[in-house]
Amino acid sequence: MSKPVIKLVHSRFPNEISAVEVTRATESCISCGTCANVCPFGVHERKPGHNRISRPQSHLCIGASCEDMSFYCVNHCPRKALSIGTNQNYKTIGDHRWTRDLILGTWKQAETGMPLKGREYEIGDSGGGFDRMAFKFLHARVTDAIDDDAISTEIDLNKRAGRRICIDVPFYGGGMSFGSISLSVMLARAKAARAWGTFTCTGEGGFPAELQEYDENVITQVATGLFGVSEDTIQRVKIVELKYAQGAKPGLGGHLLGDKVTAEVARLREAVPDSSLFSPFPFHSVYSVEDHEKHVDWIKEINPDAIISVKVSTARDVDMVAVGSYYAGANIIHLDGSYGGTGAAPEIAKKNIAMPIEYAITKVHECLKEEGVREEMTVIASGGIRTAHDAAKAIALGADGVVTGTAELVALGCVRCGSCESGRGCPRGIATTDPELAKAVDVDWGAQRLINLYAAWRSEIVMILRRLGMSSIKELVGRYDCLSYEGQSKGPRRGI
Amino acid sequence: MPRKYNIEVSPAPPRFPPVGKFVIERSAADCINCGRCVLTCIHSVHARLDEDLRRMAEPEDYRCKGCFRCVQECPKEALTIRSSDEYLRLGDSYWTPEIISKNWYQAETGKVPVSGAGYLGPFSGEGFDSMWTDMSEIVRPTRDGIHGREYINTSVDIGRKVPVIKFDAQGRIVSPLPPTLSVPLPILFDTLPFGGYGNVYEAVARAASFLGTLMIVDPDAWFNKEYEANAVPVLTQSALEDSVTACKMAELDYGSTVLGAVEELRNANPETIVSVRVPFGDTAAEIAEELTCAGVEVVHLYADCNGKQIDPPGPGEPRLLKDMILEVHRQLVARKIRDEVTLIASGGIAIAEHVAKSILCGADLVAIDLPLLIALECRYCKNCHSSGLKCPVSLKDVDPRYGAQRIINLVGAWRNQLLEVLGAMGLREVRRLRGELGRAIFFEEIQRETFDTIFAKEVSYNVKAGN
Ligand code: SF4
Ligand code: SF4
Ligand code: SF4
Ligand code: SF4
Repeated sequence: MSKPVIKLVHSRFPNEISAVEVTRATESCISCGTCANVCPFGVHERKPGHNRISRPQSHLCIGASCEDMSFYCVNHCPRKALSIGTNQNYKTIGDHRWTRDLILGTWKQAETGMPLKGREYEIGDSGGGFDRMAFKFLHARVTDAIDDDAISTEIDLNKRAGRRICIDVPFYGGGMSFGSISLSVMLARAKAARAWGTFTCTGEGGFPAELQEYDENVITQVATGLFGVSEDTIQRVKIVELKYAQGAKPGLGGHLLGDKVTAEVARLREAVPDSSLFSPFPFHSVYSVEDHEKHVDWIKEINPDAIISVKVSTARDVDMVAVGSYYAGANIIHLDGSYGGTGAAPEIAKKNIAMPIEYAITKVHECLKEEGVREEMTVIASGGIRTAHDAAKAIALGADGVVTGTAELVALGCVRCGSCESGRGCPRGIATTDPELAKAVDVDWGAQRLINLYAAWRSEIVMILRRLGMSSIKELVGRYDCLSYEGQSKGPRRGI
Repeated sequence: MPRKYNIEVSPAPPRFPPVGKFVIERSAADCINCGRCVLTCIHSVHARLDEDLRRMAEPEDYRCKGCFRCVQECPKEALTIRSSDEYLRLGDSYWTPEIISKNWYQAETGKVPVSGAGYLGPFSGEGFDSMWTDMSEIVRPTRDGIHGREYINTSVDIGRKVPVIKFDAQGRIVSPLPPTLSVPLPILFDTLPFGGYGNVYEAVARAASFLGTLMIVDPDAWFNKEYEANAVPVLTQSALEDSVTACKMAELDYGSTVLGAVEELRNANPETIVSVRVPFGDTAAEIAEELTCAGVEVVHLYADCNGKQIDPPGPGEPRLLKDMILEVHRQLVARKIRDEVTLIASGGIAIAEHVAKSILCGADLVAIDLPLLIALECRYCKNCHSSGLKCPVSLKDVDPRYGAQRIINLVGAWRNQLLEVLGAMGLREVRRLRGELGRAIFFEEIQRETFDTIFAKEVSYNVKAGN
């Protein structure tokens, strides 16, 4: 495996949000430049030709841990003009699932490509599921002997007869349609997928021409609206995903508000600009496993080599659905939980319909085992995989790999404000088709941020495997015994 | 097929600026009035001052969605976002700020709250928060109700259903048919916990009449013959006044002499449906059984405002609405008398999902109280009923027409969410949702089926040789 190059890429916003805030009392500061000389992290700077010192770059500061350092600027300032505190914006950002540290941590990983240390970067504050699980590391057995590259993070996406498809990292990008996200975000994802030898998915919105050069790394989606589905696109790709449901709004169809249906979006979807687009739910041609099989056959007829992934959400009988999909000939069963999604979803759906992904993974894994077909089916989990730790936990619960979505958007600067669906779309230019807003994301910048994030995730996963004494991610599948579970926290009541 | 029921909503903007989640602070010392923030904010929080375009107006921060874009782009780092203290103080631990403000939004717009970015909240919680509803997938068809392409019926019948109907030789029904009443949606309006001003009652009554639902009301507090068709008076057992017994339905409080009063009321008005109000307590299931066996056709079980049991407050933790409904429903099913009685549940029904979940657990329909006031911008600050302070939104001055529209909007948005849930399950009638426990996923059960089993396996693992 050739690893892509990691490069430092800063946020595209001039004022980075960080936990630490370095304050300089401008009335006492005499711009002597002492702080710029002592701080090794470049927080303080006097630009050449400037009389006054620049505003502190707080996000570079290491915070309270600097207090004991000889170079601690606060102690060196002759006018006692400097102080270190907690940033107010940092206190405001985040939610139960994506805490401020998870958001900032993902930004940091996308910036540097390095994994972070600390439990706050591993789990959120939802009080259940992944957030109450931890790996039982056996310190005595840590195998420092193995070097990073000897630990394999490869997984096979097809375990049945037919074309072998192996990805270098146990994750790939989930379906986000052109229309729900901008073209530059789509291309950035594709570029990063190619660099890491994995995949990204078009979602249900067609296959923009610009994406063609990434064919080898693209999964195309056939969903209920059949928007932008053509024989040509199905023939070009290696994996075709049949989307039966999506975790963010299980049981409900897709909905792209008219505002987001620009001329370009409409063209690809063969629809009318400015009119809202509904993908019905479900596939009205599928009411049984036999019907489902017809679907799979239909794709295989068009592209006999295609690997078929079946994306479902976590209904009560999701385990039976997985078994049914196996018999229908699918290669991948992709379980989509309800924590993700950029699309417009009613709150009632996100919070209440279908079960949390953590339960669904084990149910499906156990059921496929019982049926004796687990070895032939690839189980992929998505909808709530925020960190490499979540990914590893999902695998220990019984998945082969995971699909990322929101984490990628956060790497590109998403703050989880939930405005993705609104009029012009994402104010941060990610989940938008507004040409003005979309300018905010540059393809190369975005691709490098994602390459870095993937690198950080891979290092993190390797570290976990090493501490478990394993040499391949495949060994971790369904290893419940590697996890400890603290039980549900009595914690906060669930909000809306 | 019944006439398609649909709730027409129309925007009713708030009278007072709503309490927003965020407060934006602009440091006057740093701001250079460049106007960058005006351009960056897609929610129009920032603007220039009308009277002096060189300066910036106070941010209208209640509209802020917390995207941080203005903060991150201001050339002078003059902007800061903090969580609003006023927002965090709204309501209490049950009526959370999110619940209150989302209900305001629905009362204003009549729209279902929709957002991107997935679910942000805690994993699970207590009561209604410890269950999920199910959906259909692949092998069970869903329905597409919300966009109106398939009609989903939300009407429910109130009153006794006879188990068998007898016909004579000519095919005429000879069994006595008790009166029933059909309401187009499973949401009634309950008595108001506070805020009982004339105009508020009138707003509620207007909304009930527009929606075709019923309004349960204490006739001593308010009664208006004009709205009699939709009123359900709560009668005291001693005084069964004629003026109010002309209503289609009446309620009596549970007590030792209630059966006598039911009888008396029936004799006076054979067409009136009689409902008995029973406080949810340790013996609610027995009482419901006893009343059903005695021929009472409707039992209205009520919890307190926060959905907790009322009577008697047993030792330990008070039980919650979800579990109490389940218990009563299960007991009546076990006695094979569930279909003989209509169960109304109320107290702590705070958001649309509580309607669906109450019905799933076994209620036929619910009654709402506090949400009616929240629709009228109530902040649940409890000023009016505990400290005698002034109501911050001047509830007593709400125009009844406008107030009715806000309530209609709220109920319209709730009903649409009920349609979403029904559609996802593939049900075409809300009646089929009642007690449909196969379509519920309970936290305790799924936990037992999955984690309790897998994490019980404490086998330690072996490191492969050579590693
Ligand atoms: S506290 Fe340390 S890291 Fe932070 S600005 Fe001062 S010298 Fe630099
Ligand atoms: S609108 Fe907000 S939540 Fe959605 S992608 Fe943009 S930043 Fe993220
Ligand atoms: S962007 Fe900053 S400096 Fe410019 S007007 Fe807004 S607050 Fe003032
Ligand atoms: S944070 Fe976003 S929504 Fe709020 S005022 Fe700034 S730009 Fe507007």
